[in-house]
Amino acid sequence: MLGLGADRLRADMNRLLAMLFHQGVLDEQFLQLQQLQDESSPNFVSEVVNIYFHESEKLLKNLRELLMDREFSDYKKMGTHLNQFMGSSSSIGAKRIRNVCVAFRAASEHNNRAGCLRALEVLEHEYCYLKNKLHELFQIEQQRVLAAGVRYPMQNN
Amino acid sequence: MAALQRVAQSSVSTTASSYGSCKGGATSSFSAANEMAVSDRFPAGLRVLVVDDDTTCLRILEVLLGRCAYQVTACSQATVALNLLRERKGCFDVVLSDVHMPDMDGFKLLEHVGLEMDLPVIMMSADGRTSAVMQGIKHGACDYLIKPIHEAELKNIWQHVVRKKWNGNKELDHSGSLEDNDRNKRGNSDVEYTSSVNEGTEVILKGPKKRSNAKEDDDGDMESDDPSTSKKPRVVWSVELHQQFVSAVNQLGLDKAVPKRILELMNVPGLSRENVASHLQKFRLYLKRLAQQQSGISNGFCGPVESNGKLGSLGRFDIQALAASGQIPPQTLAVLQAELLGQPAGNLVPAMDQPAILHASLQGPKRAPVEHGVPFVQPLIKCQSNVSKHFPQSIIPAEDVSSGFGSWRSNSLSTVAPSNNLGGLATHNGSMLMDIMQQEQRQHKKTQQQSVLTESSRLINVQPSCLVVPAQSSTSFQAGNSPASVNQSCSFNRSTVIDYSILSAQSNNSSLNIGHIPTGNLKTPSILDGYSAPGSVPSTSCSVNAGNNTSHQNSAVPFCDSRQLPGVLHDMSNIQGLYVDKSGEMLDQGPLRNLGFVGKETGIPSQFAVDDFESQVSNLNRGKIYVENNGNPVKEEPSMNLVDNAKVGIPILQEFSCSDFMSVFTE
Repeated sequence: MLGLGADRLRADMNRLLAMLFHQGVLDEQFLQLQQLQDESSPNFVSEVVNIYFHESEKLLKNLRELLMDREFSDYKKMGTHLNQFMGSSSSIGAKRIRNVCVAFRAASEHNNRAGCLRALEVLEHEYCYLKNKLHELFQIEQQRVLAAGVRYPMQNN
Repeated sequence: MAALQRVAQSSVSTTASSYGSCKGGATSSFSAANEMAVSDRFPAGLRVLVVDDDTTCLRILEVLLGRCAYQVTACSQATVALNLLRERKGCFDVVLSDVHMPDMDGFKLLEHVGLEMDLPVIMMSADGRTSAVMQGIKHGACDYLIKPIHEAELKNIWQHVVRKKWNGNKELDHSGSLEDNDRNKRGNSDVEYTSSVNEGTEVILKGPKKRSNAKEDDDGDMESDDPSTSKKPRVVWSVELHQQFVSAVNQLGLDKAVPKRILELMNVPGLSRENVASHLQKFRLYLKRLAQQQSGISNGFCGPVESNGKLGSLGRFDIQALAASGQIPPQTLAVLQAELLGQPAGNLVPAMDQPAILHASLQGPKRAPVEHGVPFVQPLIKCQSNVSKHFPQSIIPAEDVSSGFGSWRSNSLSTVAPSNNLGGLATHNGSMLMDIMQQEQRQHKKTQQQSVLTESSRLINVQPSCLVVPAQSSTSFQAGNSPASVNQSCSFNRSTVIDYSILSAQSNNSSLNIGHIPTGNLKTPSILDGYSAPGSVPSTSCSVNAGNNTSHQNSAVPFCDSRQLPGVLHDMSNIQGLYVDKSGEMLDQGPLRNLGFVGKETGIPSQFAVDDFESQVSNLNRGKIYVENNGNPVKEEPSMNLVDNAKVGIPILQEFSCSDFMSVFTE
């Protein structure tokens, strides 16, 4: 019974992932990340994604501060932050965030403040969406592991 | 973040703690790589330092690299990474760095690494725009990966490590030989001794400096200079120019020498402060490297790798000679050769002392151009009269170190002497050799042989003592620089110093070799061989040689001219036959190279030897081509097995390698 529960949870995860892929929120890089998770690092994906969230929040905060300075926005620094954001987003497969970063960077290179603000809002929105969805994914995963975990010890005993 | 940091630190510490052991493991795998390009385990254990301020990427990279079985050290700050690199020189094979980092720009890190440790650096960034990638190239990155980075890309990064080494070796060779060659052709086709002398000097001096540049030059065939100087007209540091530079530095004192003052002292129109600054930097690095090598410290990587690459290359050419026969007991042999080597230490010294260098070079230089056919040069010659007489031409065995090796610093050379018996034997050998060898060479050899016979002993040449010394010290081989030893058996003499080798062989001689050569056989006392090659090799080699020795010996001589060869190589000599030269590539492999070949001992020696000669010879003349061929074999066989020989053409020899042997004699 529990095993079936685990299977159902796995199916839920797959459905959620499929949706995120379909929406273009994630790309195959996320699957690569999942493939790196093995016995030696069982929580690798959530570990990396949490690091990513932590870093991204700092970056978003920095970007907002830079843009809030009406008199003088440091576009160069903004570009550096965006490069980092792009790098980490693409590394975990957050495709839409990466794409928004590209647009954001283009706007910052043109010193287009209005464009930057719009991009920042989209970015924040995308970030929240991704974060929520991935948290959902990890929750299901945890339940699945628990469900599976309950069964294995029983078998072993 | 905190977690990541911890991870990074722990990995660092891990590395540190295991450093000793790792070193060994890594080294061995590395050498294997050099030799064969690919060994069973090779890319595994590659020591990678990853630097990225983005902890997300850093963590992913760490796992990805771990998947490739590399030994990973992760670092989230460029400054920390740089300190790590400085503290643990030789503990990393390749650096992977992000471009944008808050504490230090990735390009800055790249520059430091390029100048201070000459490691391959791979840049990474999410910014894949052409301008960004171009910047990476200009700064000397050996690759530029665009994030997200895939495992497949990381699986291949070991190639940069191997390529760097190879290129490093080539550079040396090129620096020595190519430029010189060109110059000769352009300028004076008839090379006078004097001129050659200068060239020799140049080479020597240059060797080092070039080394540092080498990678850039080689990399592209495009000859772009350092990234930093790529846009400026390239300044060719000719021998003369370098001499001026060195004398200015000496005048000021190395510590106090600043580009501006040096420039004033040199007073050369058209030379900019930047040119001098970059040359000074390279010169200092060069000195530093030499010092390191000599000290022998860990070779592990550093040692071997770097040295090999650089030093090794220098050294490679050497030669030896030797003789002996196992089979033919009575005889002895004689011959010898020269060698070269670049010993690091020696080099340094010399470099510093101009006089010494010059001296050396002068002596050595005679080398004559290859074209002439006479390949030999005389080395220094302290020889005794005997020697000189015999070889009037100077021929003799010496080599030119210089040319070939720019790298070498030392020159070496020498000749050898024969022993008593020789007479008859020698002849025989000679003949065989002759067949093989080119006529010219043959002649020389004969000459040599004869002379040898006649002379009976003594020989030796010595060369610059300076060089020698180092070599001795090295005994260990560490660097691989040098090495060699010589041996002579019986007769030799005097010379103290270095020189080469000769081996006499008496039977056994096992010595030859490499490695350790043994003094035992040789009478000569000190000897060293250096082989970069790994220790193990040496031993093996030893034995092999012996057999061969006998016959060949002579061969060595010819090489000297490396200059002509473009490629380089040098090698030469050998007596036994073997040797190899590795030419560029082969050399590159560095450590391996040393090994050389070896032939088998047994009977055939002479023949083999001959073959070897040929090849060697040809190498000289022809240059690269041959060399390459040889090289392959060499690579394959690092260990010295026969097999390669076959390919190479060298039949039996095994080991040996190296060319460099130097021997030293203490007398």
